[in-house]
Amino acid sequence: MTSTYDITLNVHRYDPDKERKWIQTYQLEAGRIMRFVDVLRKINDTDDSTLAWGSSCEHGQCGTCSMKINGKPLLSCELLVENAVKYFGTTTFTVEPLDVAPVVRDLVVDTEKAYERIDRVKPYIINPVLQDEDEMEHQISPETLERYVDATRCINCFCCVSACISSHENFLGPNAMLAAIVRIMDPREQEKQERLDCLYSADGVYRCHSSQACSFVCPKEIDVAHFIALAKEGAL
Amino acid sequence: MATGFSLTKIPGVRFLQTKSRTRGWPYIASWAHRISGVMLILYVLLHILTLSALKNPDDFDNKIKFYASILPVFLEWLLAVPVIYHALNGGRLILYEIFGNRQDNLILQWLPGISATYMLLLGIFMVMGNQAVSAILFWTYIAAASVFISYLTVMKIRHSGASKLWKMQRISAAFLFLMIPAHMLYMHLDPSIGRDSSVIIARMNNNFIKLIDLMLLISVLYHGAYGIIEISRDYVSSHRVQAACTATIMLIVAFFVWIGMKLTVLI
Repeated sequence: MTSTYDITLNVHRYDPDKERKWIQTYQLEAGRIMRFVDVLRKINDTDDSTLAWGSSCEHGQCGTCSMKINGKPLLSCELLVENAVKYFGTTTFTVEPLDVAPVVRDLVVDTEKAYERIDRVKPYIINPVLQDEDEMEHQISPETLERYVDATRCINCFCCVSACISSHENFLGPNAMLAAIVRIMDPREQEKQERLDCLYSADGVYRCHSSQACSFVCPKEIDVAHFIALAKEGAL
Repeated sequence: MATGFSLTKIPGVRFLQTKSRTRGWPYIASWAHRISGVMLILYVLLHILTLSALKNPDDFDNKIKFYASILPVFLEWLLAVPVIYHALNGGRLILYEIFGNRQDNLILQWLPGISATYMLLLGIFMVMGNQAVSAILFWTYIAAASVFISYLTVMKIRHSGASKLWKMQRISAAFLFLMIPAHMLYMHLDPSIGRDSSVIIARMNNNFIKLIDLMLLISVLYHGAYGIIEISRDYVSSHRVQAACTATIMLIVAFFVWIGMKLTVLI
């Protein structure tokens, strides 16, 4: 078993001060169970401290370290070097920022801009169902929860938006659709119509063509396309 | 050093392999659906223009001679690739989006085999060119099945909050799912069915066939126009340009509906 790999990273870089874009090649030795965030950190430590990239939890829970590696949008904290070599059949990797918002620097995108799509669908309870005075908390039956609990696991990493066959400008995006669908299926929420209006707006589900790339790339293994199809069918 | 042949050395295969790893096969199927759809709507417009020559049967017979030579016949057979692919993949999408089928990988796996069988069958009929089938009987069966599939689709999506235009797109797809591959098959049972003006005019004089042709014309052009408009809306950001694209597509389609209706009704 190989314990290390000699890998080559072709990283798409961007310097906002000089408005310059270029591809920089890094060659380094990487341990087989190093994750791509570890590889990028190693580059920072040993080769180039100016390479900018983002991460936070590094446990696949926050979505900050999402980027495209050899064209596939994924969480770089979840991808081991060994798995990448096996999956792509190469030791050369192209690393790009997600194309879902303007690039701030190198692999970092403008998250605030990306989140504008999510904000439009209001991913929170607008008008909660009133409870009886003696009830301390909402009760959701396991059967009801089972229908949409998977959709609640979305971490808004925007991998699905990057992979989608539709353009990013005219479609709110699979994760925004999912956020709207969760609240429509959530029995604690009374305000359904506002979200349905958003879902069936010109930049809503009509831009989805069931290419299912969202489900394919989702790091949380959510079948995003399934939920959007339920919305199209009218089965929410 | 000798190197072995590998399919991945072919650029197209390598591209598909890469895309299948980064987006999945349904994504590739969706792109192929778009490309085949654009090819088909362009062909339909050409088809309507060619048929419009039927106003003058001698002129039509002269023009159609070109289509009877080897290369055009071969190209016509190749046209069955986008036809059967678009129909089967469209059927897969309807099952996925409307009938809740989530096992569509199985359909994707079967798609090349069914397409190849259709191509083979069509090729055999084209080579034999001696089949005789009653037009009324053939189209009664196909139209009845198509209306039934459309009815099932209507019943399934009637409560969806999606727009009427979107629903019409899916209903027209369900209707065309059998109609178009059957139309192509029927037209090649015998060369005279599609190339002899007297045979075509005699068939089109029947009111039932007129109705079938009108239904085909309207559903194909609606389906194609909606598809092209949706593609433009995916990529054109400006609302003004979007509106201009939509208006242009609708005008072109309305023109072809008019030509087609004039031909069907007045012949």
